[in-house]
Amino acid sequence: MENSTQESNLRSEICVTYDSPYPIYAMAVSNAAAASASTHIRRIAVGSFIEEFNNRVDILSFDHDALSLKPTPSLSFDHPYPPTKLMFHPTPATSAANILASSGDYLRLWDLRDSSIEPISVFNNSKTSEFCAPLTSFDWNEVEPRRIGTSSIDTTCTIWDIEKGVVETQLIAHDKEVYDIAWGEAGVFASVSADGSVRIFDLRDKEHSTIIYESPQPDTPLLRLAWNKQDLRYMATILMDSNKIVILDIRSPTMPVAELERHQASVNAIAWAPQSSRHICSAGDDGQALLWELPTVAGPNGIDPISMYAAGAEINQLQWSEVQSDWISIAFANKLQLLKV
Amino acid sequence: MATENLSQEEVPENLKKQLALAVRSIEWCYAIFWTISSEQPGVLKWGDGYYNGDIKTRKTVQAEELNADQLGLQRSEQLSELYASLSAGETNPQAKRPTAALSPEDLTDTEWYYLVCMSFEFNVGQGLPGRTLAKNQTIWLCNAHQADTKVFIRSLLAKSASIQTVVCFPHLGGVVELGATELVLKDKKLIQNMKTSFLEVPYPNVSKIPDQINKNVRNDNGLVHHQVSVPETSLNELVEYPEVNICSPNNGSNDFGAKQPNEELNIVEDIDGEACQMQSWQFMDDEISNCVNNSANSSDCISQTCDNPEDTIAVSNGKKVTDNEMHEAQEFNQKKLNSSDSRGGDLHYQSVLSTLLKSSQQLILGPYFSNSNKVSSFISWRKDILSSSQILQTSTSQRLLKKVLTEVARMHENCQLESGKRDGKRDGLSKPAIDDIDRNHVLSERKRREKLNERYLILGSLVPSGGKVDKISVLDRSIERLRELEKRIEELESNSDVGMLESRTRIKPCDAIERTSDNYGTKKNGNSKKPLTNKRKACAMEEPRTDNGCSLLRDSSTDNITVSVVDKDVLIEISCPWRESVLLEIMEATSKLHLDSQSIRSSNTDGILSLTIKAQFKGSKTASTGLITQAIQKVIRRY
Repeated sequence: MENSTQESNLRSEICVTYDSPYPIYAMAVSNAAAASASTHIRRIAVGSFIEEFNNRVDILSFDHDALSLKPTPSLSFDHPYPPTKLMFHPTPATSAANILASSGDYLRLWDLRDSSIEPISVFNNSKTSEFCAPLTSFDWNEVEPRRIGTSSIDTTCTIWDIEKGVVETQLIAHDKEVYDIAWGEAGVFASVSADGSVRIFDLRDKEHSTIIYESPQPDTPLLRLAWNKQDLRYMATILMDSNKIVILDIRSPTMPVAELERHQASVNAIAWAPQSSRHICSAGDDGQALLWELPTVAGPNGIDPISMYAAGAEINQLQWSEVQSDWISIAFANKLQLLKV
Repeated sequence: MATENLSQEEVPENLKKQLALAVRSIEWCYAIFWTISSEQPGVLKWGDGYYNGDIKTRKTVQAEELNADQLGLQRSEQLSELYASLSAGETNPQAKRPTAALSPEDLTDTEWYYLVCMSFEFNVGQGLPGRTLAKNQTIWLCNAHQADTKVFIRSLLAKSASIQTVVCFPHLGGVVELGATELVLKDKKLIQNMKTSFLEVPYPNVSKIPDQINKNVRNDNGLVHHQVSVPETSLNELVEYPEVNICSPNNGSNDFGAKQPNEELNIVEDIDGEACQMQSWQFMDDEISNCVNNSANSSDCISQTCDNPEDTIAVSNGKKVTDNEMHEAQEFNQKKLNSSDSRGGDLHYQSVLSTLLKSSQQLILGPYFSNSNKVSSFISWRKDILSSSQILQTSTSQRLLKKVLTEVARMHENCQLESGKRDGKRDGLSKPAIDDIDRNHVLSERKRREKLNERYLILGSLVPSGGKVDKISVLDRSIERLRELEKRIEELESNSDVGMLESRTRIKPCDAIERTSDNYGTKKNGNSKKPLTNKRKACAMEEPRTDNGCSLLRDSSTDNITVSVVDKDVLIEISCPWRESVLLEIMEATSKLHLDSQSIRSSNTDGILSLTIKAQFKGSKTASTGLITQAIQKVIRRY
């Protein structure tokens, strides 16, 4: 099937698209079903990427049955500068209390109610210094939902206790800017940085960190990190300007377990499958989203993906949520698409 | 003659060889013999098997070349050993397994499939082997890898192993299963060959049978003496075609007593001339027992079986095709068979896999993707799909991602007012690391700023807040407050008029603050171009601010309006930058407010006009301090 026509040939039942008026980047799928509607409606938050002060975060409703993706105008709010990441509370207590976190200049929490969004709090990293280093990413700890870890360009990672509203700890994680952070267990997180290393930190022993991988060309920044929540031994990371996805086993540091090299351009985003420990999805500048299955033994030519999808433009964002494990969401140009797995 | 009463665990020694021969003769991938377990009657489990498929890594102790037979046998044994060691759940299997033994990474997918099959158990009636045994029929499954898991429990495993065809037939109280990696269309001859090779008897003693068969062939209504209360089953259910022979495991009876559903008839009817073929399917139990005891001459067997098909081919070819088509259609139409245990099969499969595979240390096959039968947005990956959606990479790679990581940060930093810090607008990706000296400087700079901010916070807490907490407002409010307090002191000392004091103090702080912030607020936005006139009255500023905050500060110190109202007396004090006709405008404004100016005192120092007006309200209408202030502010702001 020709990739170029694939998009037009796709039937609507397997691909749902939302056209946004502006370019989008940050994306998050809500873990709570919409309170008012049936459980087939899922909320998806989308953050714009406009290189100005005024940016917006829109909340879309995805209807599983009707396969429609519509914005809810009442649930849309302004955000100063583009949000670098959006994430919903991993385990909302009630379906009504639906908290969205966004990172940018500060870590902000927003309360997503049925008909409005109220800001809850702004976490300013440094009360005592006159500026807060902007955040490149953050991760919400699923095991301990009061913990959010943020990564910043000032080489530090900050762990917040959002219930108390205080900094639990702040670590100087790397020698250079930290680009991504991911939680493993309740007190263990990993981060990647412009210095090209993946490090694991344990909150019980803050003095020491473990380097589990360093990019082969020294100082090649590692841009994104994904920790396999089904099998905590494995992580995936991507390098700058590289079409490789590096799969790491934390028990064997420095040696990647696999390198997935089938993208035809640089990789932009990776996501492990929420329901299976052996599958991972990746998306890149070649406009392709590839689904990989990590095999027992790799063939001599490397690992091939099992399936693929071609979008019409560079895919910048990829999210694979636990609550809808048969849909993968991708963002490219001004569109958000939900692909059926 | 009784069927040889196999003790349930025992498998005849030469069965393996027979399986080997059988599978090799048709060049299929594997043969498995499922046997009734001794611990659990009614449960089929692994008896023996022979693996004839692709081998990835050979591991032999001996250096000598083995012939194909022996290689195959050895491989199967190695696989069995591997299974045993894995299922023993050793945490470190590597250490214990001898070097010549296999480890999981040496296996192809097909071998892995074979290995995992060793773990399976089927209740009678459940799964392919179970159903085979229960119904005593051969089951031929095409496209096993795409089959519904309810039909074929191991379908997903088969998918990874590319096993496309699976055939089961009852034998010797158990079930023989054969599998191939190619799609083999249902071929009765094949089965017939198998059985012949197994039983090593070319032709059964079917002498008495043909008549009966022939009779039945024409008999539409079910076989009278073949009995069975098999209900009319629809074509759709057809995967299995009847096992005419019957090695009924439980009764070693001689007759054909096979349960022959009516489907058989359909087939049979199509094959008008195939009586002889039918014949060859029929093996009697005595033949079975013969076969079992007969350990030799397997090769004879094979050659003899070859003869068979040739006889029948001529007869049946034409019919065969249609028959096959029909069967194919039926197979492809498989609806979920009534296997209530299929769910259990799924769970079993998964649990076995997970326990087995957890012991292995490498990346291993994981649970399947739940997309076997559903429509998906994804298509299978092919190497030759070049990015024909040629996203011409005119821009940099990972453009948006890099922007998110660096540009957004830059935007925020630019926004920060205190941008005195590093104008290293960090294009962090290309800049080299800060060296130590710079870092020290940065740190000390940071400390200084921290100190500043602390003091701002303290100051902010001392003056009542009007809503805005930024530093500029804090300073403005402080200035206001100081002035107010100074005045109060003055008045307290000089004027003991309680009324005046009260009225003064009644000026709510928030009013004052609102005034000033409002002033500065609008000025801030509109004023950025105004030239700095840094002339300030005595003002306690910690540090002169020379960066772009200055324009705002000018406003704070030079615009000042105090209004106090006591009954009808109004005292207005103004200080603002002087310009032509400002005085006149202020006077106009006050008169508009029904104020009668009684005395005016003005002075102009350093370009700042300070004006004191004492006035009275004429008439009954009185304006509030706020109104007056606003009016005057408007005047002052008007340029």
